[in-house]
Amino acid sequence: MKRFLIYITKIIVVITLIAVALDGLYTAIFMQSKNRGKIETVINSKAQKYDIIVLGSSRANNHFVSQMFENVGLKTFNYGMSGGHLFESSLLLKLMIERKYKIKNIILEADLNLSNNQESDGVSAKFLPYIHNSNVIKEHFSGQKNFNELYYIPFYRYIKYDSKIGFREIFKIESKEKTNALDNLGFYPLKKHKNGNMKNNIVNLNPLPHNKYYEEIKNICVANNINLITVMTPMCENVVGMNYFDKVKKAYPEIHNYENVVVDNKYFSSCGHMTDAGAKIFTVRILKDFFNK
Amino acid sequence: MFFNSLAFAIFLPIVFFLYWFVFNKTKSTQNALLIVASYYFYSCWDWRFLFLLVFSTFLDYYTGIQIEKGKSENSRKFWFWLSIIVNLGFLGIFKYYNFFATSFSELLNSVGIQASPILLNVILPVGISFYTFHGLSYVIDIYLKRIKAEYNFVDYSLFVSYFPLLVAGPIERATHLLPQVKVKTEFDFEKAKEGICQIIWGLVKKVVIADTCATYANAIFDNYTSMNSFSLILGAIYFAFQIYGDFSGYSDIALGVSKLFGLDLLRNFNYPYFSRDIAEFWRRWHISLSSWFRDYLYIPLGGSKGGIWMKIRNTFIIFLVSGFWHGANWTYLAWGFINAIYFLPLLLSNSNRNNMGAIQLKFNFDSAKVIMSILYTFSLTCIAWIFFRAKTITDAILYLKRMILSRDFSFQYLDNERYSYELLIILGIFVLVEWNNRTKVEPLSGKRNMLKLAFAIIAIMAFGTFSDYKEFIYFQF
Repeated sequence: MKRFLIYITKIIVVITLIAVALDGLYTAIFMQSKNRGKIETVINSKAQKYDIIVLGSSRANNHFVSQMFENVGLKTFNYGMSGGHLFESSLLLKLMIERKYKIKNIILEADLNLSNNQESDGVSAKFLPYIHNSNVIKEHFSGQKNFNELYYIPFYRYIKYDSKIGFREIFKIESKEKTNALDNLGFYPLKKHKNGNMKNNIVNLNPLPHNKYYEEIKNICVANNINLITVMTPMCENVVGMNYFDKVKKAYPEIHNYENVVVDNKYFSSCGHMTDAGAKIFTVRILKDFFNK
Repeated sequence: MFFNSLAFAIFLPIVFFLYWFVFNKTKSTQNALLIVASYYFYSCWDWRFLFLLVFSTFLDYYTGIQIEKGKSENSRKFWFWLSIIVNLGFLGIFKYYNFFATSFSELLNSVGIQASPILLNVILPVGISFYTFHGLSYVIDIYLKRIKAEYNFVDYSLFVSYFPLLVAGPIERATHLLPQVKVKTEFDFEKAKEGICQIIWGLVKKVVIADTCATYANAIFDNYTSMNSFSLILGAIYFAFQIYGDFSGYSDIALGVSKLFGLDLLRNFNYPYFSRDIAEFWRRWHISLSSWFRDYLYIPLGGSKGGIWMKIRNTFIIFLVSGFWHGANWTYLAWGFINAIYFLPLLLSNSNRNNMGAIQLKFNFDSAKVIMSILYTFSLTCIAWIFFRAKTITDAILYLKRMILSRDFSFQYLDNERYSYELLIILGIFVLVEWNNRTKVEPLSGKRNMLKLAFAIIAIMAFGTFSDYKEFIYFQF
């Protein structure tokens, strides 16, 4: 039995050493990643100056045409992330501030994402490689249920989110494979889909009365003299439970309701996402209303 | 509680510690501990079905004794058939009733008689096909006077409910496991070390091979109407490795865990994809089930001793029943039927035992023939797996049709956001490792054990699929 216990101890030591080594290797590779996505680009960047930063989910990413802002002399980047919640938007903004970004305006898409305070696994995972290199990320995740495992067990975060930050991502970073996340100044134009889902039911969705991460973003903007423009972006006409947007307006009167600025189905790729043409109509309206352009 | 879960990683060391350090005075106390642990393990899925397991155990224990004690043949027959009917009755109700009711109703509807089936709202108790077969073999062996009845209820319960084999086999025989359960043994370092190697290799098969293949196979099978010939061929190959990695990985973990308690379970897989013909494949794939059907169905039906029609009949019966054992779906029956078609020519030409020896390759024409026969056999199994994996027989036929007629062999980007061919490198390495170690139970033991273990651990951690977690396929059977 003694020999067996020694044997098991050796295996545990080997596992620990491998975990530490792989963790170090993966983290070092992620620290060099620059052209794969918005999160790593911000993390591995230095101070930048922007007139406008767009934050939010895919409904920000697909709806604000950055180039149209640039065309009227406003330096802009769309940092909207598909699948992202306000948890990630808030963290991304904190990282920009940590890196001394000078931002005049933030356009924040806040509508459906106000209904929860949770992280979005698929997006938040992309911050995790840097958890030991950034106090901002560490602090932001410290309230999460599985923080201790993610922070203290070497390589655990890479195993848990292997499809996002596993060896395939490592391989792509090393082979300098680009993604389209940074094209079009962060804006991702959508096409009209024949089979796009043009129905949506949000009857059971309710905005939280005090969304923690929305409040965080507001406070950061106040503290850093950033003009925060918060908007609800358009939905197609077949949505069941459209009074959700009224509920948002009631809970957060400062949020501008643009859900019915574009309604015609021909401008939608799916019910919650406009096509490129729809996004252009919407962006024109935003430029006019907030920037007199 | 799955073998590849954190819960099991905590459960196993606790049971191991208690078994060898606290309850180690007598074999009875050790067995009692394993029973409690096994029932806890089983109740982690659904505690309600624990009653079914205990009832089934008690039924076979009691009927076994009554058969042995029976003074008249009628009495022996009564207890024997009682056990068979109740055991198969449970299996029938939980596993097959809804299938037959639906199929019968569809048949009536197709001839113009309106009928809506009365369906049972029950879930399939995990492992029922496995522990029922444990009990059946035990009772049949007693009835045929091959073994004596077991009078110690704890020992018998352990034979049926031993947690490593409880939910997905291997299907044990009383002649093999019960004698081991009764003898107190000292801790055997070499056996335990083998067990650890087998557990780790089983995990490699499960999380690196099976679960990774699953994401590709699912993306291809679920969208087969938009896939080209190349992707559809790869889909069949990926599923072949998925089911092999999944089930043989589970079996390896089960055998390895059992070795930690000093108990040897029956080997369930012997590198089946290196078979040179289908008969050899069935001697290497799910061995405990194949041999069960051979001993308790095929041979009692007359085996291959009768005339040509009896051989054909028995072959079809055993393969169809084997297919149906996997689940109540026509696709499994079709899979069994196809394997019967594959097997029959070998049986009728008396060549089903041609490839009994070990495979040895040299640089000559015979070796090239061996390699070709292995590839041919693997291709046949892949075609059969399409029926096993498809949702319906129609889907399987359309999948095959498209695979042949598309004739487009370009690389496709799949729903899982990966290219269809990407996995071939990992599979190639896996096949090479298994090929080089085909004479051993697993590749990790032997010389440079710690180095090989380190590579296996790196493979699990770096290349395993964890976020898209899949439970073991055979749990549903």
